[in-house]
Amino acid sequence: MRLRKGFRGPRIGTKLMLLSLTLLVVPWFSYRQLLEMERLLVQGQSQAQLLTAEGISTLFNGREDLFNDLPVKIEDYESLFARPLQNNIRLDGSYEDWGDEGTERLLLFGSSAAEDGAFRLALGERAGQLHVFVEAVDRNLVYRDPDYLRLDNADQLRLSFIRSDGGDGRISLVFAEPGVVTAYGMDEDWRFATTGAPETGVQGFMAPSTSGWNLEFRLPLDMLGSRRYFAVSLADVDDAQTRQLTNLTQTLPKGGEQSFNLVVLRSPEVLNIIQGLGYSGARILVIDAQQRVRAEAGAHIAAISSTDEDFFSGLIHESFEAMRPVIHRISTLTPWVDEAGVTPVQSAADVISAALEGESLALRRALDEQLEIIMAAHPIVSKDAVIGAVVVEQNIDHILSFQRAALEQVILFSVVSLLAVLIALLAFAGRLAWRIRHLRREASTAIDHYGRLQAAKLRREINSGDEIGDLARSISNMLSKLHQHNHFLENMPRTLRHEINNPLNTLSTSLQNLAEESPGVQESKYLASAKSGVIRIGSIVQNLADAANLEESLKAEELEIVDIQKLLKSYMANCTAGHPDCEYVYRGVNRPVYAEASDFRIEQLLDKIIDNALDFHRPGTPITVQLDVRRDYLRIVVANRGPVLPDASGKSLFDSMVSHRGPHNRLHFGLGLYVVRVIAEHHGGHVRAMNLADNSGVAVMAELPLAAAKAVPPNQGEAAASSGETPVDQPNQYRAAS
Amino acid sequence: MAKRIAIVEDDPDQRANYADAIIKKGYEVVAYGSRQEARDCMEDDLPDLVILDIILGDEVDAGFQLCRELLSKSPALPVIFLTERINEIDKISGLRLGAWDYLPKPISLEYLAERISSLLRISEVRAENPEQESSTARRIGRLGLDQEALLVSWRGHRIDLSGTEFRMLAKLVRAPGHAVSYATLMAATMQSLVTNNTINTHMRNIRKKFEKVDPTFACIKSEYGFGYRWTPQ
Repeated sequence: MRLRKGFRGPRIGTKLMLLSLTLLVVPWFSYRQLLEMERLLVQGQSQAQLLTAEGISTLFNGREDLFNDLPVKIEDYESLFARPLQNNIRLDGSYEDWGDEGTERLLLFGSSAAEDGAFRLALGERAGQLHVFVEAVDRNLVYRDPDYLRLDNADQLRLSFIRSDGGDGRISLVFAEPGVVTAYGMDEDWRFATTGAPETGVQGFMAPSTSGWNLEFRLPLDMLGSRRYFAVSLADVDDAQTRQLTNLTQTLPKGGEQSFNLVVLRSPEVLNIIQGLGYSGARILVIDAQQRVRAEAGAHIAAISSTDEDFFSGLIHESFEAMRPVIHRISTLTPWVDEAGVTPVQSAADVISAALEGESLALRRALDEQLEIIMAAHPIVSKDAVIGAVVVEQNIDHILSFQRAALEQVILFSVVSLLAVLIALLAFAGRLAWRIRHLRREASTAIDHYGRLQAAKLRREINSGDEIGDLARSISNMLSKLHQHNHFLENMPRTLRHEINNPLNTLSTSLQNLAEESPGVQESKYLASAKSGVIRIGSIVQNLADAANLEESLKAEELEIVDIQKLLKSYMANCTAGHPDCEYVYRGVNRPVYAEASDFRIEQLLDKIIDNALDFHRPGTPITVQLDVRRDYLRIVVANRGPVLPDASGKSLFDSMVSHRGPHNRLHFGLGLYVVRVIAEHHGGHVRAMNLADNSGVAVMAELPLAAAKAVPPNQGEAAASSGETPVDQPNQYRAAS
Repeated sequence: MAKRIAIVEDDPDQRANYADAIIKKGYEVVAYGSRQEARDCMEDDLPDLVILDIILGDEVDAGFQLCRELLSKSPALPVIFLTERINEIDKISGLRLGAWDYLPKPISLEYLAERISSLLRISEVRAENPEQESSTARRIGRLGLDQEALLVSWRGHRIDLSGTEFRMLAKLVRAPGHAVSYATLMAATMQSLVTNNTINTHMRNIRKKFEKVDPTFACIKSEYGFGYRWTPQ
């Protein structure tokens, strides 16, 4: 409650600052706008890519022949599709670098995935090499024993193919320990190597796994000959003692008519068709119904590198990257997720599957942190059947980087403009507050402590055109009206005296002439009372005019160095002589006390204070006059026993026309103590009245500054210098009542 | 032959009252209500003494102007200002013009008559032996005081005092070394409304006039709370 009373609301500056915070809506709105724009752009590009994919797909509609470009009927063969590989493959028995999710979707050979001897197979092609990955199920892994010459008594992988020279090719991949495998050309019974030396063209690597072992190897494609007949069989040996062949799982064609599979590579004709369609930044894939890539054109353009940024923009970029989640969160109230990795990779396969089921689809996906693409797929139809799909992939890096750059600009602009606006507002508010403060100061100093007008008008802000100027003008106007009124009031006693004195003089002289004329009237009491009435009116007017002129006449007087102590002593001696019915007691210092003063004004001041004390003192009690000297001022205290002051009148007592005498009192206007105050203030001092500590009476004190040491004549200097040092004890009775 | 007194006062009642009172004392009186009238009539027929009000009708300084004109013709003419303008500044400028006295209203007619007779006597004395101390002159230390001729000198230098100031000084030096009370001094001014302050102001003016011819002058001492004292140096 008390806090609320003390707090009247924020200052102008704070208010403007708070208002300027509404500018924050600009970056917020911009961010929302940019997000929406990004969405639109991505959508537009998705549409464009879908249209492209559709357009390309029309080229292939009804062209099954392009997909069945093999010299034999493809249905007769279990074709082993070698997909093009994007990455370099390390031979380490791991499928991770094949750029695919897992091995579950690979072709399975063997009756079931749990059975011993079954295996999954993946083929890939890169740079003229055929890469093969085999995941074998094998409960008992039996390594080759180098002591045996025969090679068919350990777990191994057998490759059958037709060599480029038309002959049968047989190669066994055997391993004596995890790691590098050795390839040997084999005889017809797969028992012994035909030559002692291994086939150096074939390199492989075996790693044991939880369910068996993985084998990864590669061989040059030209080893296979032009027809690329190729078969893989897994020879499984389970008993390390007998070393008998337990299972032989093969990749033979279904019908059993042929003993080889075909290694299917991408189709040259399809490639020729789409090659010309590849446009910048886009990658076009043609996929057949078995989800095998038959042709590919174009490539993703790598993300724009940021190495050419200078330090400053790099700093901005980095800080922006750090800020972005926060901005996103504040702007959209949803948590920030980085687009990279937001889409699961397998959904790419979903897109292709959907396309192969006859539906066209576009998808935004992240390949890695730097590269984000839109992938659009459209089916290829022939005779109401889907024979493949066209996939168009294009990275949207330019959209994102555009968005990022725009965002950075917006944020930068917002921050800079916000700062600029804040500084401008701050300056404006400061200036405004400064002007108002000065106006207030000038306005409040225009009237002094006693409510007297010190200035008839304001000087500041008078010529300003704005509302503060209006305020200043209106205050100034008010002041000048008040000044006129005050002037009128101040001149009132003078005018009054002037106006009254003439008729009063008429009256007075007439009375005198009347008395002269008719001697009988001379003794009349009425004449006497009329004369005394004239005198009273005269003295009233005189007193009023004197009080009104006091400040003016004080200004005309010259101050001189006066020994206040001597003055006071002499004054009191005369008081005692003048009023023998009252006792006067002097206390305080008994050495010269010099002040710069007008002696008879000080006398007048004492007259008024003593008069006051005399009027209020209880008969029989003394009036005490005390002179104290402090460091740089002297204090005259006049105390009397008698009625105490009502609480509030301590200050107003010294105002003009304020009297606390009863209504029965004689001629009195409350001018006495007003004169005391004006004289004390003219001398650079001030006056106070207070009740005595024991509430037995009233003390009036006047404090006047001591004369500066250099102003005191040399023969008096010593006394004046020492007067400031001696402490003077102050009797308790002069302390303030409360 | 009766002395001729000129009264310039715009208020007919006051004018009549003054005239009646002065005529009763055996003087011849001419009274004027405006500056114009007074100047025209006194052009070549100067009276023996002039009583001036300062404000005449709308002219706030008409009395001063008239005083200047009269004194330029006859510098020895006794002029008394009788006015409601009792500001110190008016009084000083009036006396500076060469007026013999400056009296604030309301005035006691008795005092006025007394002043008139004393000023006329002084004027006569001065006219008989100009710049010479008369037989009535007294010497108190370095102070020369000629009650008859209203002349004061200090160390041989003449000091010009107004009638009121002269009377106060005379009262002060009657018993040198003794304090003279405010009440006594007030009576000496022969004015009806006098305060301590009026006395103080007069005393200060007297002091200043002495200090002008002798900066070390310090014979007039304040007797705070009582009055003043003349201490022979």
